[in-house]
Amino acid sequence: MNREDMIARYERGTHRIGKIVSLVTLILLIGAPFLIGSVLGAMPDLPAVARGFLAVGLVWTASSVVEFLVYTPMLGSGGSYLAFITGNLINMKIPCAINARDLAGVKAGTKENEIVSTLSIAVSSLVTILVLALGVLLLQPLQPILQSPALQPAFDQVVPALFGAMAYKYYRKNLKLAVWPLLLMSAVFILLPSLQSQTSILIIPGGGLAILLAYLKYRKEKKQ
Amino acid sequence: MQVMQQLSSPVIYLICGGIVAFVAAVCVVFAVRAWRAGKAIGMDTAVLRRVVTSSASFSVLPAVAILLGVIALSGSLGIPWPWLRLSVIGALHYETQVAQGAAEQVGIHLSGSEMTASAFATIALLMSVCIMWGMILNLFLNKKYTNRLSRNAGKSGPSFGDQAMSAMFIGLVSVYMGSYLGQWISGNGRFAFAGSPLPLLTSLCAAAVMAGLTWIAEKKQLKWLEDFSLAIAMLAGMACAVLLNAVM
Repeated sequence: MNREDMIARYERGTHRIGKIVSLVTLILLIGAPFLIGSVLGAMPDLPAVARGFLAVGLVWTASSVVEFLVYTPMLGSGGSYLAFITGNLINMKIPCAINARDLAGVKAGTKENEIVSTLSIAVSSLVTILVLALGVLLLQPLQPILQSPALQPAFDQVVPALFGAMAYKYYRKNLKLAVWPLLLMSAVFILLPSLQSQTSILIIPGGGLAILLAYLKYRKEKKQ
Repeated sequence: MQVMQQLSSPVIYLICGGIVAFVAAVCVVFAVRAWRAGKAIGMDTAVLRRVVTSSASFSVLPAVAILLGVIALSGSLGIPWPWLRLSVIGALHYETQVAQGAAEQVGIHLSGSEMTASAFATIALLMSVCIMWGMILNLFLNKKYTNRLSRNAGKSGPSFGDQAMSAMFIGLVSVYMGSYLGQWISGNGRFAFAGSPLPLLTSLCAAAVMAGLTWIAEKKQLKWLEDFSLAIAMLAGMACAVLLNAVM
């Protein structure tokens, strides 16, 4: 079998498996509250669920659409199925896949990137599942350590630590490209502090500006 | 039996653990397929091994932070359900907010003392419903969307596709870095400089350590250090947060 046939077969399989496991996971997650409810002797209050969805769910629905549109091109098809099943995208899966892509030296949109991204997210998810399972098993002895007030800031600041390290890595190679999105986003959050709880929505304008600047640079270089 | 005891009973562990085990099996299937496909198209085993090593080392610290989310929610929802939610589909920043909002809808505070069986079932369902949309979009649109992206990449040349993704990530990082600066300057009133500077300082500390590690790795040609530099920089940033919090 040649390379193209092999890739086509792999992609067909990825979509087939991805769709099946997404559907099964969806059924399991929606079914679990009913199953647990039947064990407890009470069912979910569906009108309250509907009210709750209107109150807190719509923002997350919009955020999910943004995440799907933005992250799928970064992750490729296999990585995307897996990342949306396993969750924790922004604080783990996306930086993990991007870091793996850089280390492997593969380009976005290539089949190699698709493979690296899928492998990276699968490993990251397995490590998370393992750490959480061990944590739950050892919850009694671990709880005082993990919840000690002295260590609390460390765990509260995991995401800033992650983005600080990633910022250095990406800004040093693309300083000119990074300046305007950084300035614009800083100005937005300084002038409109209420948007600080809506960071995921602002990824679209922030990313859009960076892509526009990258495209202008690309066109300029192509003409020269 | 009290509701909170029931929520951490073996049968609930079994239900939630079964779903976690299913997702773990899915991850293994995807990992094995990707590894085999990589080998089949001629990718270097050493590169694939680096991807595995760096991804595993990188994931440990965020996973411990996620474990704290499980602990935080276990007081009101028992242990198995938060464990399931944060192992599968959930997100650390999302779960607490939605659980809180859902509790308000059923007329209670999110606490173990007020939890009832019906309130739990309602909150659990709402937590699932609110975050399922990414997976639904994937189910119906992933194939069309990725095929379309591949076609467009073919038209505009693969080089811009790669630059666009790097640019998108720079934009994403800028949103978060900008939010840390905004949080400090206007977090407690516009231009009041009374918000917490901790996220900004933590990110700057992690960036400085990353810079040092990158310099050493490049100067000494240490490939292994590149694989672990992100995890080490994060750990340094977190340690810095503890120290700064103590002195501020």
